[in-house]
Amino acid sequence: MTKSILEVKNLSVTYATLNGPVVAVKDVNLELFPGEIVGLIGESGSGKSSLALALLGLARFPGSLEGQVHFGDKELVGMAEDDARLLRGKEISLITQKPRQSLNPYLNVGTQISRVYRAHTEASQDEALKHAVVLLEDVGINDAERRIDAYPHELSGGMAQRALISMALSSQPKLLIADEPTSGLDVTIQAQFLDRMWRAARDRDMTVLLVTQDLGIIANYCDRIIIMEDGKITSVRVTKDFFANPENAYGERILKIARANRSTLQAPTGEVNDIIKVKDLRKTFKVDDGKVLQAVDSVSFNIKKGRSLGLVGESGSGKTTVGRMILRLLEPDSGTVELDGDNISDLSLKEFNALRSKIQVVFQDPFDSLNPRWPIFKSIEEPLKLHTSMSSGERRERVLEVMNSAGLDAGSVNQKPSGLSAGEQQRVCLARALVTRPEFVVLDEPTSALPPAARAELILLLKDLQTQLGLSFIFISHDLSTVRELCHDVAVMYLSQIVEIGTTEEIFADPKHPYTKALLDSVLFHDPNARRVDKARLTDLEGEIPSPVDLPKGCYLAGRCPFVEVRCTAEAQVLAVTNGKQSVRCWKASENQPLGNS
Amino acid sequence: MAKKISNESVVFKKALWYHDRLLLAGVIIVSIALFLSVFGYMVAPYDPGTPVGPISQPPSREFWFGTDSSGLDVFSRVITAPRIDVVLSVSAAVLSGLLGTLIGLGTGFYEGRFSSLVMRISDVLQAFPIFILAMVLVALTGRNLINLIFALTFLYTPIFVRLTRTEVMTQKTRTYVEAARATGNSEWKIALKHVLPNSLTPSLIQLSVTVGFGILLTAGLSFIGAGVRPPTPEWGLMIATSAPRLILGEWWSSLLPGIAVSLTVFGFASLGNALERRVAS
Repeated sequence: MTKSILEVKNLSVTYATLNGPVVAVKDVNLELFPGEIVGLIGESGSGKSSLALALLGLARFPGSLEGQVHFGDKELVGMAEDDARLLRGKEISLITQKPRQSLNPYLNVGTQISRVYRAHTEASQDEALKHAVVLLEDVGINDAERRIDAYPHELSGGMAQRALISMALSSQPKLLIADEPTSGLDVTIQAQFLDRMWRAARDRDMTVLLVTQDLGIIANYCDRIIIMEDGKITSVRVTKDFFANPENAYGERILKIARANRSTLQAPTGEVNDIIKVKDLRKTFKVDDGKVLQAVDSVSFNIKKGRSLGLVGESGSGKTTVGRMILRLLEPDSGTVELDGDNISDLSLKEFNALRSKIQVVFQDPFDSLNPRWPIFKSIEEPLKLHTSMSSGERRERVLEVMNSAGLDAGSVNQKPSGLSAGEQQRVCLARALVTRPEFVVLDEPTSALPPAARAELILLLKDLQTQLGLSFIFISHDLSTVRELCHDVAVMYLSQIVEIGTTEEIFADPKHPYTKALLDSVLFHDPNARRVDKARLTDLEGEIPSPVDLPKGCYLAGRCPFVEVRCTAEAQVLAVTNGKQSVRCWKASENQPLGNS
Repeated sequence: MAKKISNESVVFKKALWYHDRLLLAGVIIVSIALFLSVFGYMVAPYDPGTPVGPISQPPSREFWFGTDSSGLDVFSRVITAPRIDVVLSVSAAVLSGLLGTLIGLGTGFYEGRFSSLVMRISDVLQAFPIFILAMVLVALTGRNLINLIFALTFLYTPIFVRLTRTEVMTQKTRTYVEAARATGNSEWKIALKHVLPNSLTPSLIQLSVTVGFGILLTAGLSFIGAGVRPPTPEWGLMIATSAPRLILGEWWSSLLPGIAVSLTVFGFASLGNALERRVAS
């Protein structure tokens, strides 16, 4: 057996709080070996982040450490600060959850990366800057020469995260601690990032401790898995063994939720009318220097009664703007929305307000979308007060009924949102949306702010409600696997346009647009035998999503697409039906040509 | 390293202890001040307005705080003064709080030209030295209690406008406001039912601090002769009339009311301070 690179013995982290000391990490023992990627999984509040930080010999104020952390032959706990600083950033690096907040807003990226490098080498400023450019190119940032002058606020979340990782890797550390490094990143960017980390670990024998809540990441990238519950490590397993048989109650529970037997979607039979008909919606925003940001461009789709449409795309694709325009929370520049055959775009806002009981919404951030001062009963009851003449007794009955169907405990009616978990908060939002028995619901990324277990539970709930109530909805998401479970139809959006639209079977069986293919590639399955890193890719997208302010003349994907040809950059692409199946915005697909070899 | 961290946590505990004590002190002092402003005349041993003994007596068993140059009992005057000082500044703080919060809600919720105009006016008001402006206002309207309250209200309103407006502008971008809109609330319902209650915290904290400053301002105005008229028991007035006698060694008739002002201001300020800490943590 090889010698471990990090050995933790009886490590505890304690925080002093108003209500006395809180032990976040209790008596943890742990060993990490060179070149392995270890996943640390556990619910929020289980002490994962505290442990990750403690491995650097650090604790967030007002915490204190006890125990031993051996790194090689050095002891990190109680080490003199000057010695510890030499290790940190050089031999052990940390990547934290919020990339943009981890960068110094007053310094440009190049300066920050070169400082880390210079802190641990004899390099001059010029050499360090050159090194920074190389590092940024290494992590796939286009135009690194120019980007090193950018300040953190000028970077997208994905780019900031890549700047951070290049900072963390700049001194070729032996140990990388990554605390939920991809939460909040788009799926294609997440996949790119994890691929690079995986390669660095394999090529350079770097050890990675990857804190995550996502079983997909564990299955695809980790060699071993550590489960943390309530500050203690309760299980350490080899990933494949874990997925075969977790031998741990928490592990079994999350695996069961992730693999819950999913019934197939039931579609309404016979002739049904369109509940929502969106035609040629467009929206632009004015930004600085008189430039125009194209948020939504000629978006059209129909949703039949009892069916659901998944609107998929990464951040900045305009999917949320479409949802807000259907709800009249934002006025479109042009285009119409019909609800059950009636044009609702021409109504005055006052007239439309009366219709709001029929068309409801659930937002992404559950905590932010509930009035923090109101007990949840009041929040769920409000639509009934506004739209019905029910007595307070009838309202109470209806609220309890809808809470029950949303899987909420009737005993929690007087709780404030801050007392509930994110999953429960989102159920409250769902109950509020359903309380007036709406005909149509806009679900705007309702699962993406939730931890994986709560996410899986909410999806099951939505599916149940869909079967029971025959609910029609549009499900806005960047997560294709969720959409596959919940939606009859899928529309893929990229940079303000729909690039592919069709039934779920069509799109998943035979994706035609390169962007759809890339999205499908980035799905991380909960199966260590079907790892992304082992598979051949359908499409490898390069770089970042371009800015919606200066859109290219031809196909918007041309700059990232591996199959690009001259015609792609010259012609604007149109959405055209292919083989009587899904519609695709790519001339190769509509002319039935192969994409090409890549 | 570990040792250093545990030191920090000791500091943290000390800080908690300190702020708890601060809150306690604030609550006790404010309670006493409020009690005296209602019942001060009942518990005072002598009538604060009529001479009760020999002039300029040092503190004794009979006259706890001594008597002043007119033979008035200093202790009775000190504990009846809150009837003016505390009542006046509390009313002014509450009035300016109400007015400022409403204006702040309106201008924060509907940003536009009118809103900017209101803010510029309030900026100009805040730019003046508050004491001078108060003097001018009282001089223009006449020295009586009602005018003093209005002058203070006028001066303190811009603070609440600014505080509420800033908070409203933050709150109205939160998703629950959008959710309220999607539920079918009209705009004024959103403003009053959802945004306002969530924007009150800074103003509530400021209220306590404003009372403290109000007491200081009232006493100050009386000290320079622009406040209430003698022989009304009022701390600033007492200090003004007795200060010249300090030189004769008569410290009690001016120092003790001075301590009363300081303590009361400290009490209200630390209550506000402690509340702010509580909200922030």
